[in-house]
Amino acid sequence: MSRGSGAGYDRHITIFSPEGRLYQVEYAFKAVKAAGITSIGVRGKDSVCFVTQKKVPDKLLDQTSVTHLFAITKYIGLLATGMTADAKSLVAHARNEAAEFKFKLGYEIPVDYLAKRLADKSQVYTQHAYMRPLGVSAMLIGIDDEQGPQLYKCDPAGHYFGYKATSSGSKEQEAVNFLEKKIKNNPQLSYEETVQTAISCLQSILLEDFKPTEIEVGVVSAGKPEFRVLSTEEIDEHLTAISERD
Amino acid sequence: MGDSQYSFSLTTFSPSGKLVQIEYALMAVGAGQTSLGIKASNGVVIATEKKLPSILVDEASINKIQSLTPNIGVVYSGMGPDSRVLVRKSRKQAQTYQRLYQEPIPLSQLVRETAAVMQEFTQSGGVRPFGVSLLVAGFDDNGPQLYQVDPSGSYFSWKASAIGKNVSNAKTFLEKRYTDDMELEDAIHTAILTLKEGFEGQISGKNIEIGIIDDKRIFKVLTPAEVDDYLAEVE
Repeated sequence: MSRGSGAGYDRHITIFSPEGRLYQVEYAFKAVKAAGITSIGVRGKDSVCFVTQKKVPDKLLDQTSVTHLFAITKYIGLLATGMTADAKSLVAHARNEAAEFKFKLGYEIPVDYLAKRLADKSQVYTQHAYMRPLGVSAMLIGIDDEQGPQLYKCDPAGHYFGYKATSSGSKEQEAVNFLEKKIKNNPQLSYEETVQTAISCLQSILLEDFKPTEIEVGVVSAGKPEFRVLSTEEIDEHLTAISERD
Repeated sequence: MGDSQYSFSLTTFSPSGKLVQIEYALMAVGAGQTSLGIKASNGVVIATEKKLPSILVDEASINKIQSLTPNIGVVYSGMGPDSRVLVRKSRKQAQTYQRLYQEPIPLSQLVRETAAVMQEFTQSGGVRPFGVSLLVAGFDDNGPQLYQVDPSGSYFSWKASAIGKNVSNAKTFLEKRYTDDMELEDAIHTAILTLKEGFEGQISGKNIEIGIIDDKRIFKVLTPAEVDDYLAEVE
């Protein structure tokens, strides 16, 4: 039978360490980084997009089945960075929440409310010993009726914030530094600028130029509020625009 | 609650008779951003630092100060996600009371029930204590009141209190400045000055939050513009 603090179990389950930290939660954050990919989200004036690397480790894998982008409803997209199976669990929960909300209340779930529900679920895992925190950081995008374009991120600790731009994954800090410079003067980014800022951020921090099949891009915009994953042709257009601009 | 494999408490006594998990929870509170509350003769003010991890965060999306009922508000120091659980449970408790008695819940009773929840998590199986302290402010038939609730579940009524990082300096400052016949406007100014004491960087309506309740008994969070007005008055 395992005993609590005093026997070193503050590293095994989510109880407090002597400094008041939760090691299991901190390790969950490390698991997000260990996934080896970086994701970027950028919010523009009337659109939001997120981008992630698409690493297919084996040539025999069916590429179309490798994805980190998920539609939660017709209007909300989720980008999960971290452990794949935990991501699928989170997505299933999110879809359930959204569907129940629509059924009970009669209108589409707002992005910030969905983010809150996901974060609340993650918080439960940080407080109850019987379930470990999920090793996933989730970005949500959608167009809100009242607030306009929204980008939210939920992490394993149960935090959630709205962002103008953000990133998760192995090169999170480098990406944040890049984005802070870009967003500093509160630019009102158009749809193209939003997508291209996100893609060029990823290219810049990873120091490589992508082929369209190496990244995944998801967008929502005020004119077309349905969540869409861009096709390889559309990604190629943006990549070309970026390389011509530089 | 929880799996049967964890039907034993994780918060147990140390040989010296201490509940160390609660002490560690208090350390988590002490690492949190400073919050404070001041009870005036005609109202209560609560305030907190709102330091965001990056300029990329949309500060309008974050509300650290929340209302539990139309006449009760709360602010926390410590782990944000844990505070959301308590806010949710408290709101439900307030509504349950309202439904049963057709009356708004008195502040002292809501605080007692919230504190009971926090105590449960120090004794139940398979859970850890909450890593937050709460400052609950309200105005009911017993007048303006300010309560502080700690991770252990103990709570006290305060004339003025501070929690979080800069707590000893803040409390010393409050002790000097507090008077029993203080009015709400003075209390708001004192609250701002106390926050300014330990504040790193430029204080503005975007990186602090202030919630007030006056004798009209409606709790409201000031907008960043209103906070900036008060900051200008204090200069």
